[in-house]
Amino acid sequence: MENSTDLRQAADIDLNQFTTVPDTHRGVLVSPDQLEPGDAEVMAGVGVHVENEDRSGTYILQDFNPLCVPVQTKGLELLPIAVALKKYDWLRKKYCFKAVNADLDKYTLQCASAADPQGYFVHVKKGVKVPFPVQACLYIAQSGIAQTIHNIVILEEDSELQLITGCASRTGVGSAAHLGISEHFIGPKARFTNTMIHSWNPDVEVRSRSGTIVDAGGTFISNYISLRPSKSIQTNPRTWLNGEGASLKYLTIILGFGGSTIDTGGDVYLNGKNSSAELAHRAVCTGGRIYQRGLLTGNTPGCRAHIDCAGMVLDAGEDGFIEAVPGLKALHPDARMSHEASIGRIAPEQVAYLQSRGMSEREAISLLIRGFLDLDIEGLSPELDARIAEIADLAGHGEGI
Amino acid sequence: MTNLLEIKALCVNVDGQDILHDLDLTIPNGEVHTLLGPNGSGKTTLMMTIIGYPEYRVTNGQILFDGKDITTLDITERARLGIGISQQRPPTISGVKLKQVLDFIIANARQPVPDINELARAYKIEPFLDRDINAGLSGGEIKSSELFQLLIARPRFVMMDEPDSGVDLEAINIVGQMMNEIFARHHTIRTKERRTGLIITHTGNILDYIHADKAHLILDGYIGYTGNPHILLDQIREHGYGECARCELWRCR
Repeated sequence: MENSTDLRQAADIDLNQFTTVPDTHRGVLVSPDQLEPGDAEVMAGVGVHVENEDRSGTYILQDFNPLCVPVQTKGLELLPIAVALKKYDWLRKKYCFKAVNADLDKYTLQCASAADPQGYFVHVKKGVKVPFPVQACLYIAQSGIAQTIHNIVILEEDSELQLITGCASRTGVGSAAHLGISEHFIGPKARFTNTMIHSWNPDVEVRSRSGTIVDAGGTFISNYISLRPSKSIQTNPRTWLNGEGASLKYLTIILGFGGSTIDTGGDVYLNGKNSSAELAHRAVCTGGRIYQRGLLTGNTPGCRAHIDCAGMVLDAGEDGFIEAVPGLKALHPDARMSHEASIGRIAPEQVAYLQSRGMSEREAISLLIRGFLDLDIEGLSPELDARIAEIADLAGHGEGI
Repeated sequence: MTNLLEIKALCVNVDGQDILHDLDLTIPNGEVHTLLGPNGSGKTTLMMTIIGYPEYRVTNGQILFDGKDITTLDITERARLGIGISQQRPPTISGVKLKQVLDFIIANARQPVPDINELARAYKIEPFLDRDINAGLSGGEIKSSELFQLLIARPRFVMMDEPDSGVDLEAINIVGQMMNEIFARHHTIRTKERRTGLIITHTGNILDYIHADKAHLILDGYIGYTGNPHILLDQIREHGYGECARCELWRCR
């Protein structure tokens, strides 16, 4: 696998300060009904509805305890990864660490060395179109722990899946870490929409490494939204568009608060003839440091790629900033690649204009932020739409974490 | 008849420069006045000060609306009291659709709102409803968009800054119709049911499309003459604004 964009902005985490061993005295979650009402509410805030309505499957990981609600859809399998690895020999041989190297860094090594890995396994059989989204919640309910996640998603030929992954921590949780590996394998003509919503407490640290391999005619749509950032988030999803006509749409929406460091990226390797990638990063900075990156590498004739980084800075204080670094690398003369980046602030005359129509200053700013985040994004799902409205509202009200 | 707007001895400073000087203006309920003056005389400054744009700093004087001193209120508070404006060059707002602003106006309306779709069809606004505010619109389309928002909001007091500038001959009729609708001039001759406003114009041509009850002449940030709109306009057309400045009446101010 190629070298990815260098991630170096978020500080190193001393993993020795966290426990990765389950506390055997704590009860094991066997039903969503056992969740405390406050926890269910936090989960709903990141798109995970424990009543399982309009969902084709539910996986919840509370600290180290996994819970799977049995799925009813034929051709869809959802299991805790530890169960799946025991059940299927081929999973370890054919898919484990094939999209993310186990020794990529100390965080992936930590996940790979876990005796009892946490995370989910989703498998969609050939031709199956899963009717409702599958949802997963990776939830931290106690301080002092490090979750070590390993997720694997496999879509066979001509299948379709929407996955909503909500990552959050219980109100009041202090220092904790969320380390994750996610590997996605999208078969020929399959379509995978992955929406990930993060909402953390200020002392949680996140290191997430994901890799996606897309076959011919496959489509990967990835939406990442960070509503309430942790102390630091460092992620650099990597996608290999290996098949002819494989395509990727990647959208990142981040709201930064004071004291947080968010370093997101998106490395894409356009290896398939006529493959295409479109990356859009949107960030609203009300404090803290936000790095928007992405490196698109065009290797084949007819490949097309575009990356767009846009940021808005609002009363971010002396230390708050956005750094946008969209990158292109053309290794074939027929690769067509472009990028753009812009960072600005809200224009006072626009706020005043909306106020002259009767809006309060906050309502005006919220609407402008919403417009900024919605820009050129077509076909937003209701889930995504609701989160964008929430970000606009939070930023418009200048609310801290 | 009670005065809806009363401005007393208003002085306004913009970016360190005094623009309006001891300006007095009174507009009674149900009357539409026009403010005539050459470029740079302070017409737009007066409108932006009345609606409350913060960069227009009041250094002296008072603005009373319906008897209440609004001099220190912010834009939102003034808009919610019932003051509306149509700007000559409103900003373009990417990502915010005209319909979103109209939806806000409708959701917060205190009186019944007319059928927006029917009105949009009648005034040829439909194509702009789902477009970003003022993005890629012609001069006439911008004016229509501005006036349409006022038509739906129906503020008690409306100010329009150069409503006919950049409007072609075909669109000017629609602009005129919208203005008469906003001021309820089509519906009633009873003054108390008419709406109140101030039309700012440099050329005065828009007065061919709407009746103004009174005209004010502003020169160098000072209103020195108030009278019949048509007589004043005839004088200006015949002699130009330069002659107004040299006029005996003006010099005696």
